[in-house]
Amino acid sequence: MTGILGALSDAWAEIRVHKLRVLLSLIGIAVSVAALTGVVALSEYQRQFQAEQSDRWGGRAATLVVGISTADGLPVDVDAFDERFTRVSERFGFSHTARIAQGMVVPVQLPDGIVDVNARLIDPLYSQIHREQLLEGRWLRDADVDALAPPVVITEALWDRIGRVPVAQHPTLTLSGAAGGTYQVVGVVPRQGFGDEELRVDILYDAYRARVDALPEGAWPQYEVWLGQTEVDAVAPVLAMDLRAGLPEGQTVSVSRSDWAAQPGALDAQATFEMVTGGIAAVILALGALSLINIQLVAMRQRVREIGVRRAFGATSGRVFFSVFLESLVATTVAGLVGIAIVVAVLRSEWVVTSLFYGIQDIPPFPMRAAFVGLAASIIVGAVSGFIPALVALRVRVIDAIRF
Amino acid sequence: MTLVALADVTKSVRLPDDSELEILRGITLEVSAGDHVSIVGRSGSGKSTLLNILGMLDAPTSGTVAFEGREVRRMRSGRLDRLRGDNVGFVFQQFNLLPGRTALDNVMMPLGHARGRLFWNRRQIAADMLERVGLGHRIEQIADRLSGGEQQRVAIARALVRRPVLILADEPTGALDIDTGATVMSLLDEVATETDAALVTITHDLHVAARARRHYRLDAGVLETADLSRAFEASTLAASVPSALAPSVPATRREAAS
Repeated sequence: MTGILGALSDAWAEIRVHKLRVLLSLIGIAVSVAALTGVVALSEYQRQFQAEQSDRWGGRAATLVVGISTADGLPVDVDAFDERFTRVSERFGFSHTARIAQGMVVPVQLPDGIVDVNARLIDPLYSQIHREQLLEGRWLRDADVDALAPPVVITEALWDRIGRVPVAQHPTLTLSGAAGGTYQVVGVVPRQGFGDEELRVDILYDAYRARVDALPEGAWPQYEVWLGQTEVDAVAPVLAMDLRAGLPEGQTVSVSRSDWAAQPGALDAQATFEMVTGGIAAVILALGALSLINIQLVAMRQRVREIGVRRAFGATSGRVFFSVFLESLVATTVAGLVGIAIVVAVLRSEWVVTSLFYGIQDIPPFPMRAAFVGLAASIIVGAVSGFIPALVALRVRVIDAIRF
Repeated sequence: MTLVALADVTKSVRLPDDSELEILRGITLEVSAGDHVSIVGRSGSGKSTLLNILGMLDAPTSGTVAFEGREVRRMRSGRLDRLRGDNVGFVFQQFNLLPGRTALDNVMMPLGHARGRLFWNRRQIAADMLERVGLGHRIEQIADRLSGGEQQRVAIARALVRRPVLILADEPTGALDIDTGATVMSLLDEVATETDAALVTITHDLHVAARARRHYRLDAGVLETADLSRAFEASTLAASVPSALAPSVPATRREAAS
């Protein structure tokens, strides 16, 4: 007990006395541990960011897409299927379902004339299933169906075309054609990236159907259901079976997952990112360890006399070994903790995370995995870079060191 | 009671040209508790090697070394280290204080290798020992910044803090002026007598050697009893001083002993 405490005390005293040397040798370790911790943490954020990005396209994990088609390509009676889906959905007790009809084009009156604009007919919950983000305004609500000028959500590119009038000033959009009329713009979806110039208008499914009897040719709805990942595997086949039961001949119902988690190799990209950046950080860490070993070895040459004096006053070779070993271990652990603390402090800033991952919605808490990886790395580096100088210290011959 | 006993000890080393250099030849010496022994000799006569063997830092080529009746050669390294730490205190010519540490840290160092009460109360014990050597007011001073005399007093405090039964001093006044050297030697004598420790001093200075009760001379690796009065007479400086002052102290402590 006293031996261990004594060795720790010697190690701490050595670090205290040679603050500057220790500090300089440990800057590299602290930086590289910070880099390693940061990479692992950023990888977690990247995972969340990519998941959110994927959610916008395929829905959150797990999203089931239900489609209806006919073998001969004739239009499906969407209202009949709608009724069937609603009934089945109620029986399953789904909390999040949404219809979406894509592939439509509506003529919109813009300052430079009537322009064909892509349109989607959707239910309000679609925004939650797909993590839709808004640049301004609000998303569509159930009650909007009753509005005389049905609310719509438009893309930023389309918003630019109508003069970027603030949503608070109630800009409107005039549609021509079958669903012609005035629509109130209540929200704007931001550009999805550089060069996104898509003109699109999102209309409530029911609001559109209240004005137009049938969906245009080529557009039929899909149904999306957001489920827990644990239950989706059990629910999907039963749901498909229920929907198919008693279906008119020639019609086919498809039930499939569209979310990223169902894609094979969904996590490969993140794993590759983590491996490459982690590999770079590990190389930096190895270089830091190498320089630490170097400095410790040089320091050891200068401390030969001190070690000799300690041995003369009763320090066993084991005690000298552990004191030197612990010096590195204690120092790199402290440096590692400093590095981790810096990363935690930086990444706790929402501004930093949102700047790095533009558009991220749910910032995950700082991943403990990153902190553990950083701490383990600093301890391993300390052990390795302490072991070699400790071996050198062990070989110091007392009589050579003292030279009376 | 015999503390350390050397019987027919020889020490030789192999030189790079493969020849053997005999440093010590047939040394037999016994040091008992409370003894005060001085060993004088020319540079290169093997004094330091003898002190290393007495302090169990080095092993003889042949012959036996026994500490309190137990033969040292048979002991394992760790046990020998602990035995040395428990029983032997060293005072070096160049002080060999730990650089950058305070006087207190230096004196605490041997206690850090002790066990039990000595380990847990090491700070207080070290502070008391520094007080005993007259440095109670400088315990927090970095040792390198103390004067030579003060540094040697710290070194003495460090050597004595574990109450060793054997104190080995190699040229303890070698780096000090005459007055400071005399003060340091008085202190060393006093504390050694007080604790009934054996004191073995290696020195060039006949006056330092004269403080001991038994005097030895090491010449070409052979240890023999020394007659200090003859050594004083043979001193080159003694011959050069006026006859009226001849019996007085030579002006330098670096006087050759032979």
